Amino acid sequence: MSKKSSRWKQYQPYIQSMKAPFKAIWADPLGRPGSILFLLVLFVAIFAPLLATHDPHEMNQRVEGTAATFIEGQWERMRVIGDTPLNATAVISPGESFAVGREGTILHFDGNRWNKEESPVDTSLLSVDFFSSEFGFAVGENGVIIKYDGHSWTQLESPVEVSLNGVAVPAPDKAIAVGEDGTIISWDGNSWNLLDSPATRDLMAINMVSPNSGVIVGDRGTIIHYQDGEFVNASFRTFMDGTFRRLNAVAISDEGFGFTTGERGEILGFDGEDWYNMTSPESRELTGVGIVGPEEAYIVGIRGIVLKFDGERWTRLGLGYHRSFRGLDIEDGYGFGVGTDPYINELSPPTWEHLFGTTHLGRDIWSQVMYGSRTALIVGIITALIVNIIGVAIGLTSGYFRGRVDNILMRIVDIMYGLPLEPFAIILVLIFRPSLWIIILAIGLLTWRTNARIIRSQVLSLVERPFIKAARVAGASDLRIILVHIAPNVLPLAFLQLAVAIGYAITAEATLSFLGLGPPRLYSWGTILHAARLSGAWRTAWWWVIPPGIFISLTVVSVFLISRSLEVLTNPRLRGGSTRAPRSKKS
Amino acid sequence: MGKKEFIIRRLLQMVITFLIILTGLFFVFRLTLPDPTAALVMEGLSAEAQAMVRARFGLDRPLWQQYFIYLGNFFQGEFGMSFHYRSAIAPIVWEKLLNTLVLMFPAIIVSYSIGPLLGVILSWRRGTKVEFSGIVGGLFLRSAPVFWTGMIFIMVFGIWLGILPTSGMRTLPYEAAHFWDKIFTFDFLWHLLLPGFTIAIYYVALPMLIMRNTMLEIMGEDFIELCQAKGLSERTIMYKHAARNALLPVVTQAAITVGLAVGGQVVVEVVFSWPGLGREIIQSVRTSDFPMAQACFMLMAGMVMVMNFLADLVYGYLDPRVVYQKGGK
Repeated sequence: MSKKSSRWKQYQPYIQSMKAPFKAIWADPLGRPGSILFLLVLFVAIFAPLLATHDPHEMNQRVEGTAATFIEGQWERMRVIGDTPLNATAVISPGESFAVGREGTILHFDGNRWNKEESPVDTSLLSVDFFSSEFGFAVGENGVIIKYDGHSWTQLESPVEVSLNGVAVPAPDKAIAVGEDGTIISWDGNSWNLLDSPATRDLMAINMVSPNSGVIVGDRGTIIHYQDGEFVNASFRTFMDGTFRRLNAVAISDEGFGFTTGERGEILGFDGEDWYNMTSPESRELTGVGIVGPEEAYIVGIRGIVLKFDGERWTRLGLGYHRSFRGLDIEDGYGFGVGTDPYINELSPPTWEHLFGTTHLGRDIWSQVMYGSRTALIVGIITALIVNIIGVAIGLTSGYFRGRVDNILMRIVDIMYGLPLEPFAIILVLIFRPSLWIIILAIGLLTWRTNARIIRSQVLSLVERPFIKAARVAGASDLRIILVHIAPNVLPLAFLQLAVAIGYAITAEATLSFLGLGPPRLYSWGTILHAARLSGAWRTAWWWVIPPGIFISLTVVSVFLISRSLEVLTNPRLRGGSTRAPRSKKS
Repeated sequence: MGKKEFIIRRLLQMVITFLIILTGLFFVFRLTLPDPTAALVMEGLSAEAQAMVRARFGLDRPLWQQYFIYLGNFFQGEFGMSFHYRSAIAPIVWEKLLNTLVLMFPAIIVSYSIGPLLGVILSWRRGTKVEFSGIVGGLFLRSAPVFWTGMIFIMVFGIWLGILPTSGMRTLPYEAAHFWDKIFTFDFLWHLLLPGFTIAIYYVALPMLIMRNTMLEIMGEDFIELCQAKGLSERTIMYKHAARNALLPVVTQAAITVGLAVGGQVVVEVVFSWPGLGREIIQSVRTSDFPMAQACFMLMAGMVMVMNFLADLVYGYLDPRVVYQKGGK
């Protein structure tokens, strides 16, 4: 028992000097906010997976409905008008248009803005057409048919259950819809009825110039002409030219000419009698066609493609659109292209969804910064501990034994002082490979030099104190004197150096990671900035640059504040009230 | 022990340190890295041809012979051949070194002339809001990573306001007959502004805080009390008596900072595409140009050592109490 308590007594000084720094930090007006800030960062680091709103590696996609307005020969900027992709649009007049899309979405344009209309269905709507502003139909998946009466939409009974891809409404008592498996249905003013179809392949679109005349296009180059109640020329083989590709859209002008377009950039022209192949400047999927006049027509497609016809040739317009078009309608020189598929939400400025915006690959910066705090603190704390253990050990040995030991150790310290940190780490990476351990190793191997020197000078002065001499006379071993009498006295200084080293290590880690020396798949504040710089987008994407830097600065500031309050502990002369010149005498 | 002896001793120590680092680097490179000829010898070269290349570069000799050849060459200013540039390294790195120095020195001179002044003001206003915000602001400037402030400055002044150049030393294309021709132009100063400012504000905090601390210490000394008793004005005491004595650690720190800045410079040069040593060493790592990396590193280490040496000298000169003993501090 007595032995145990005496051993306990040995550690008493440690416990005492362990408590002192924390008290000093908390008592200091700068130390307290500093430690709160540091605890906050620690909290972020521990709970990073909970705080992160996204997987930091995930390329975040986004789905929206967008529309590009076409007015008098000019295409305007693509705008987001809804939160579901749109499949088709119909222009009734320049002041009134409708667009339909996924989840039964119906959007109504009143001349100024797009408003969401109440929809009787929640299946995807694929096509829409109007006879007038008081009569129209929209069709969609599962044979859904809905009717517009000028005020609201109502669902009608459908004779089929397959997807209906296209609808045309040339008269109040005449409408035709086409769909999968060659389905053709017709409206007689009261109800929809299934018609005998000449085709078995999927039909994609229909366009009618009058109640008695129209064209249907579909899969594998299917083109069907509708003439006075008859479906004729039900095969591409009967025309001059043809295609085996799927045709997605068709438009026939009042003058009788027309175009159809489809997958892999396919474009066919119609001169009133025959279809013929046209040279296409595009090889990707085209989804919509609209005619302004004999010498002006447009085709839209995926990834923001817009092609223009000038009377002779189709040319690509570089409008800077990125999002996919699904449909186009132009009436009297006025129209809309609508669409979008899921696209990568790249370089988005901060939103509620992405608090710090996204990177050029659509990755969530907020989540990256949250995970980055882990790397920073892990490297900071581990490195600081390594640095401190080496520094204190060398400082104690060197200061206590002096003489030759001291000389050798201090010469090693001198050599270490000749090595610049960043280049040293760069050389290490050249020899090994980029990893977190290289960074820890580089900082750890170099920065103990300062600690060792500071601890040594403290020990040098302690050794001369009477109580050490007394211990020596009492026959205490060197180890005992070092551990029991000297170490507790250098502990506050070691604490101070620990705080300084954490700050230094965090900055160094950020710097080295910024130089691209960090591990590639691990997020740290430095690697985020490295990626930003590498992408070239950082010059405008301020949301990518500012947050990691702020986090680095705040963390390092917090540690500096803590170290300053510890400095007061180790250097009593810095203490004092608010008098201008402290009059305290030299201690 | 006399002053002269101290200097000689310190110089000798510096040379030995340099030699140790050089030796360490040489052997680390040669023992850990793959055969350096791999970078030079083209694939599919016959065994005889490979041996010829090796013989030409002296790689067929034993390692210790190679080491002494390397050592001899190094001290004659021959740093070898760059794998990347396929030319002699020495002229390239000397120019890069000068480029680095012309960026570093003006910036550090600026920060070390402003910093101490601010420090005096802070100590004067002890306990006020000025001091508090000065300390916090200074700590923040010192904590913000220098590459990040550089990026912010580029965004603000280079992109948004579009008034300052953000990369390189001169507007391209330019013609300069020699180095000084390149430097003594308005265009160069214009390019120096942004990177120089970035470095300067990073280093301004340290002398400021050190100055404040030392001022506070010194104001507790007896001679200040004497000055006050003599009836000198606060201003005179501050600038003439206290500040002069407090400058000592600042000056020492300045030399050490220059040494540290050699390494810290790397990241600034990368951000501002400044063709200095730091950018070169990064590039040499990317292109696996070992001789170049080696030469850059040794030059940087040499600079650090010279600066540390100067710091010791300055310290001894400014503080006569320093006894030249056992190699300094």
